[in-house]
Amino acid sequence: MASSGSGYDLSSSTFSPDGRIFQIEYASKAVENAGTALGLRCRDGIVLAVEKPLQHKMLVSKTTGRRIHTVDEHAGVAITGFVSDGRQIVGRARDEASNYFETYGTKIPAEVLANRISAYVHYFTLHGALRPFGATTLVAAYDPATKEHSLHMVEPSGVSYEYYGCAAGRGRQPARTEMEKLSINPKHQQGGGGDMELIDVQEGVKQLAKIVYTLYDASKDKPFELEMSWLCEATEWKHVGVPREFISAATEWAKKEIEEAEEEDDDDEEMEE
Amino acid sequence: MSYNAAMIPRQNPLDDAYAGKSAETRHLKPGELSTGTTIMAISFSSGVVLCADSRVSTGSYVANRASDKISQLHDHIWCCRSGSAADTQALTDYVRHYLAQLAVETGRPPEVKVAAHLMRRLCYENKDHLMAGVIVGGWDPVSGGSVYNIPLGGACISMPFAIGGSGSTYIYGLVDSEFKENMTRDEALALCKKAVSHAMARDGSSGGIIRTCVVTEEGNVKGYISGNTLPYGPAGW
Amino acid sequence: MSLSLQAGGSATRALPSAAGTTHTTSPITTGTSVLAVKYRSGVLLAADTLVSYGSMAKFKNARRLLPINSRTLIGGSGEYSDLQSVSDLLKRNALEDKCTADSLYEEENNEECAKEVWSYLRAVMYNRRSKMNPLWNDIVVAGFKQNDDGTTSDEPFLGVVDKIGTAYEDDVLATGFGGYIALPLMREKYRPDMEEGEARALLEDCLRILFYRDCRALNRVQIAKVTREGKVLVSEPYELDTFWDFKGFVDTKAGLGTDGGW
Repeated sequence: MASSGSGYDLSSSTFSPDGRIFQIEYASKAVENAGTALGLRCRDGIVLAVEKPLQHKMLVSKTTGRRIHTVDEHAGVAITGFVSDGRQIVGRARDEASNYFETYGTKIPAEVLANRISAYVHYFTLHGALRPFGATTLVAAYDPATKEHSLHMVEPSGVSYEYYGCAAGRGRQPARTEMEKLSINPKHQQGGGGDMELIDVQEGVKQLAKIVYTLYDASKDKPFELEMSWLCEATEWKHVGVPREFISAATEWAKKEIEEAEEEDDDDEEMEE
Repeated sequence: MSYNAAMIPRQNPLDDAYAGKSAETRHLKPGELSTGTTIMAISFSSGVVLCADSRVSTGSYVANRASDKISQLHDHIWCCRSGSAADTQALTDYVRHYLAQLAVETGRPPEVKVAAHLMRRLCYENKDHLMAGVIVGGWDPVSGGSVYNIPLGGACISMPFAIGGSGSTYIYGLVDSEFKENMTRDEALALCKKAVSHAMARDGSSGGIIRTCVVTEEGNVKGYISGNTLPYGPAGW
Repeated sequence: MSLSLQAGGSATRALPSAAGTTHTTSPITTGTSVLAVKYRSGVLLAADTLVSYGSMAKFKNARRLLPINSRTLIGGSGEYSDLQSVSDLLKRNALEDKCTADSLYEEENNEECAKEVWSYLRAVMYNRRSKMNPLWNDIVVAGFKQNDDGTTSDEPFLGVVDKIGTAYEDDVLATGFGGYIALPLMREKYRPDMEEGEARALLEDCLRILFYRDCRALNRVQIAKVTREGKVLVSEPYELDTFWDFKGFVDTKAGLGTDGGW
């Protein structure tokens, strides 16, 4: 970073001469090193997954330090980065959802929720007295009015986009590459079979588990807990945790798949020799 | 037949606050305009019909004989106003503003339900200072045609049809008997005109002309029946 | 004008009067009695679907039995707009509890039990009456008590809160006109081990009698139940049969040669 150390990285209220705001970039760095968060938009719903690193052996991991939170009946968010920053965003998201319903008598549309969250996050990048959030938020929501489900991601800079699949945190690049291989984007369907060819949430859970374990290196990385939630037809579009047995089954499947793939690779290599 | 002490007048009939005023107008301050009114709305398969008389009175003087009590809240959402003209105009202005804002934020047409909810919140939270009975009706892509009634206290109830204003008490029997579910646009419009003209003929605080508005996905069609070509009255039997 | 969270105004505007402001507050759109009884497997609630506007039967299909969460039910009489806002408030609280619960898994969390809702409602109602601006309702709360660990206990709960914040529990409850007409009948017939059918028949009989004797009652009704495992169920509105063919009703009474009568 050319201009770092020259005083332009002390506050987010000033641009550097080459048009950058370093504090925002540093905030993004904070997210880049945190546990991977994944979101997948499937045919019949959305799946969220976060790799929660277990910092201590004595941690009560089931109930503390959650990364996935419910914001409204039909909306959930996954956070990664500074968890405490993320929780602040979660609190704001709940207020936005609740206020919207109280004012208008209908559930907040996903896009509006994502926009309101990003406006909040963005506000913290404008003032010298504030520190940008070191957290990225994945928003999964269902809109009862349009009967559509969608996935958005809000980054520390305050930008938000809608995705078919998105990833944040450590290993997000390879994760995105893996996601591109899944049939989740109707525009890229080859058979032109429309929605029916897209994967469903059950498959989505398995695939996300596989991605997480593909990226994981037991010798280098900390042990982690895989937190997963979904919001789909089967849950009456409520945002709830994926049943623990289902997560373990998906994990088993994922590990086996990865093992088999590795064996195949080994075989290939042997053949070449 | 009623058999109770309430038959004895509770209030001195000469008391200024009560003389010659109906339940809905006696709360008005001297000089305050009231749309002592007949309003009505029916939802049909693809939209709603709204209908109103045109009389605005101060006591027994007709302040406006051709007013428009059907106000537009959004592209496909309208309301019929009864009670204080000032209060209901202010309320519709607020709801119109909030709906416009919401439409911009969400990028989609607001639901009739939302308009009714906003109206109800305003009516409920300011009930001490308002005299407003509003019927909200319109079309939206989620529910099609729908009608909501928001009476004095600020309750909000969705219904297949609604009638309101001082004149409505004269036509409950007529409308209860003639209304059926799944009416066509023309049937609904005809019933509105017939019912409102009967109310106008018996309610001193309703009268003038009939204004109608038919709201469907295609748009809004405003209608007008002048005071001398009403389906019934003003003279009648 | 704001759309703030603040609760609404008094039940009606004060009447204009010469000497100062008279705080004559009375409800405008009203629902009549709610009946409730404990039975073998839970609590049963009943109410008609009429909301009156003064003496006019204005809304004949309004619901006054409202589920608040998966194990609590309320039934309200009095000002309907206040009931709507109370129900909105309780549902908002329930949703907030759900969102801020410890676990992502519904079965590992416990929603507020009926007794908690009832206690909270008592505080809300008392607060409003202390501001000389009451919420004009009598509200019955039904559900189950909970064990120390928050799980639903086997013991049903039935309580009522009135417009000034008086709150009490009982095995049988009735608000409004029902307190005079239905409650004595219900107390006479009540047994703690009643089966659902028996309790339901009792409530329907009481609703029918209320329809006969309460000018603000209707024979279109709803019944709702809270059971320990089945949770909360509210019936769709249905109509009660009524009987008008007693000999003394059919035979003329006001003709010549009779004893006259009413």
